[in-house]
Amino acid sequence: MDTGVIIRNFGFMMGGLGLTLQLAAITIVGGLILGILLALARLSSRFWLYWPATAYIHFFRGLPLILVIFWLYFLFPVITGKPVNAYVAAIVSFVVFEAAYFAEIVRAGIQSIPRGQTMAARASGLSARDTAMYVILPQALRNMVPALVTQAVVIFQDTSLGYVIGLREFLRRVNLVDAREARSVELYLFAGLVYFAICSAGSLASQRLEKGRQRMHPA
Amino acid sequence: MIDIAEVSLWYDRAHKALDRVSETIRRGQTVVICGPSGSGKSSLLRCINGLEAFQEGTIRVDGVSVRDPRTDIHRLRAEIGMVFQHFELYPHMTVMQNITLAPMRVRKKARAEAEQKAMALLERVGIPEKAARYPEELSGGQKQRVAIARALAMEPKIMLFDEPTSALDPEMIKEVLDVMTGLAQEGMTMVVVTHEMGFARTVADRIVFMSEGRVVETGTGRDFFERPQHERTRQFLDRILL
Ligand SMILES: Nc1ncnc2c1ncn2[C@@H]1O[C@H](COP(=O)(O)OP(=O)(O)O)[C@@H](O)[C@H]1O
Ligand SMILES: [Mg+2]
Repeated sequence: MDTGVIIRNFGFMMGGLGLTLQLAAITIVGGLILGILLALARLSSRFWLYWPATAYIHFFRGLPLILVIFWLYFLFPVITGKPVNAYVAAIVSFVVFEAAYFAEIVRAGIQSIPRGQTMAARASGLSARDTAMYVILPQALRNMVPALVTQAVVIFQDTSLGYVIGLREFLRRVNLVDAREARSVELYLFAGLVYFAICSAGSLASQRLEKGRQRMHPA
Repeated sequence: MIDIAEVSLWYDRAHKALDRVSETIRRGQTVVICGPSGSGKSSLLRCINGLEAFQEGTIRVDGVSVRDPRTDIHRLRAEIGMVFQHFELYPHMTVMQNITLAPMRVRKKARAEAEQKAMALLERVGIPEKAARYPEELSGGQKQRVAIARALAMEPKIMLFDEPTSALDPEMIKEVLDVMTGLAQEGMTMVVVTHEMGFARTVADRIVFMSEGRVVETGTGRDFFERPQHERTRQFLDRILL
């Protein structure tokens, strides 16, 4: 075991972690917003909202993420004739893909709110939009926090796939160091530890939140 | 004021929840609807403010047809307050926020004005000190009084009550019925689904008995209790008045 290789390249590798976290953050925010819109469309009684949203969700949940990235990065330029920037391709693929998963979490969260709440809001004259904004979503999002944190952890791991189109995120940098120094065991153990530490922190936070929620709303 | 004509409602093809129901409720009247569970009482209330899309018949509120696509249904609902068996207060909002939400979003009132009105209503239902509390900190009777204040904040012409005391402990029923009685005496037009026969007898101008989606019998308080016309009404009264 040569831990020196890790110490010597620590700054370089951790620099990639910045990109990894950035990818994850943009994906989480973008994916959640798109996911909320998809969930609302899916729960709509208007078929022209319901059907496209449902098809979208089933479509992307049925594909491996890596395929979506390949399509966007390699296939899209063939159709349009313009090359796609790897960073943009990664972000778009992640957001579009993860939104399908967020949509299902949000849908479950919305459906966990009793129908009477919608009824009371609509009875008072509130529009469908205001009912969602002020009555349903605030309660639903609060219930969903643990599931959302879990999904955020998954996304953090998924961003390592940016590697396949040459993004120099954390895992790619570890890989580059390994190519130079040929210390696979130490380097990939280290990479594993970093992912594990960050994901464990996320899971722990999720459990804390779940307990806190149960204290606030027993039953 | 409320004109219900030959209304039928199906939730699915096999099941008819309302079967050609007709009723007229005049301005200032209090009408009590009673009947066994599943007879369509809640469904009928929800038809009146257009929460349920009934397939046949018409309902007019102040001459405005509820199911007419040209009707501004949000505006119509703003004129009709509704109170539910399980309160349906918004748990993530304070009592004050519960009451001011619709006046601010639907009536576009300024916050200060909406809050002033809300405080006056909380005074009226006897719990001004609870304005900053959350619903889960209130007793059942207090929750229902807040729900009534929330409905009144829209200054409705009509109030619909769906079993407002059924989920309450017996010692809290009176405080809610008192508020309702006060409203009726002030001339509010009210449709009340309830099995509180004391309230029906003393406050209702008319009592409607429903069974299996139909109006079986309707009469003034006295007639209804002393001379029920139908066997089913008699059976129902025997059970409920024990
Ligand atoms: N949202 C709904 N979907 C399907 N069936 C319903 C729904 N609401 C009520 N029903 C059915 O319609 C009938 C009348 O119900 P309801 O109006 O709630 O009666 P009540 O208030 O008198 O107990 C019942 O058979 C009930 O099961
Ligand atoms: Mg009912």
